[in-house]
Amino acid sequence: MGFASRSVSVMRYRVKGNIEGSFWDSIHDGVKRGSYSRTDQPGELIGFGWTSIDDFDNYEFHGASYVRSNYVALSFRIDTVRIPPRILETEVKKERRKLLERTGQKRMSANQMREMKEALKESLKRQVFPSIQVFDLVWDTAASVAYLSALSPRSRERVEDHFKKSFGLSLIPLLPYIRSTEMVATEKDRLSLEQVRSCVMAP
Amino acid sequence: MDFLDILREKAFLGREFLTWLWFKSEQTGGSIEIDGGKVIEVVFHARMTLDLTDVDTPQIVTIKGEFSELREGLAAIREGKKIEEAKISIKNSENEFSMIIKGSWFSFGSLRTPKTAPLEDGGDEDTEGAFLEKMGLMEEGIGLIDSLFEQFVKIRISDDWDVKEIPKIRKWAS
Repeated sequence: MGFASRSVSVMRYRVKGNIEGSFWDSIHDGVKRGSYSRTDQPGELIGFGWTSIDDFDNYEFHGASYVRSNYVALSFRIDTVRIPPRILETEVKKERRKLLERTGQKRMSANQMREMKEALKESLKRQVFPSIQVFDLVWDTAASVAYLSALSPRSRERVEDHFKKSFGLSLIPLLPYIRSTEMVATEKDRLSLEQVRSCVMAP
Repeated sequence: MDFLDILREKAFLGREFLTWLWFKSEQTGGSIEIDGGKVIEVVFHARMTLDLTDVDTPQIVTIKGEFSELREGLAAIREGKKIEEAKISIKNSENEFSMIIKGSWFSFGSLRTPKTAPLEDGGDEDTEGAFLEKMGLMEEGIGLIDSLFEQFVKIRISDDWDVKEIPKIRKWAS
């Protein structure tokens, strides 16, 4: 569920790295560079990228609509298509029968089967509705913190990777230990924190 | 250390925080005073997951149900487990939040903030206003957890942890 929902999931990140040149120009370039587009690669993924946080079908970003005060507010959209295995199996059998009748071959080679299956998959992908996942990413540029409305490791990795490619900056998950290093001020405390080990809390 | 190494070696910190927070909320009747004299009210609900993955054989206990079943949580702590995930409500003088905190990742599931004002005409200013209000509330809720975590970290790295805090926690759990 996105951040507009009453109940949200949140993974918090520290944004690390430097932006060269004009900050907001770089952000704009990064948003445009990473905006949603379809992909022709084989496989389940058919499209991904940044969209408007208010409308996942809008990826034009007219008037820098992603800027909200000091925040950059985006959604990350991933479209995937999965052909149910039984459907693929049925179509492969049909196509195999047609091909053998047409060519008079007794059987198909492993190579022919593989090529036919891949071609069928790509053709079936165009006939199936995609699954669309949308995750909100809100970047507080003043505090160098980003909030992502996704907890699953796979979704998080996709967004982290895309953020890096778009802006050249890293999203570092604010794990407890990482967050704690930001809370200690002295060298002595930093060392104590580094040396902390798991303790026994049971009586 | 990259963050995967940190996740592996220091995940206990998040679990110890949640376990300490439960103890602290019980010890203070749910009102925990933080630096600056502010008070945060903390309530643990009967939904938690306790984990023994600090040792070689991972064992997970999930507790869901009536309030009295929090006793099972204490029993799990007595067996050496720590809280990996817990549903809590937190409140300051103005607002109340609820969430499921995950200890290892320090992430927040089902984070509920107070209701925000409904959009009036749906114009751009209205949309931005609603967004900023929501973000402000979310950051406030997470900020309360940060304040509690900061207090925990201070004690955790001090000599008081072994000398004073751990004996109190063990007495509470026994």
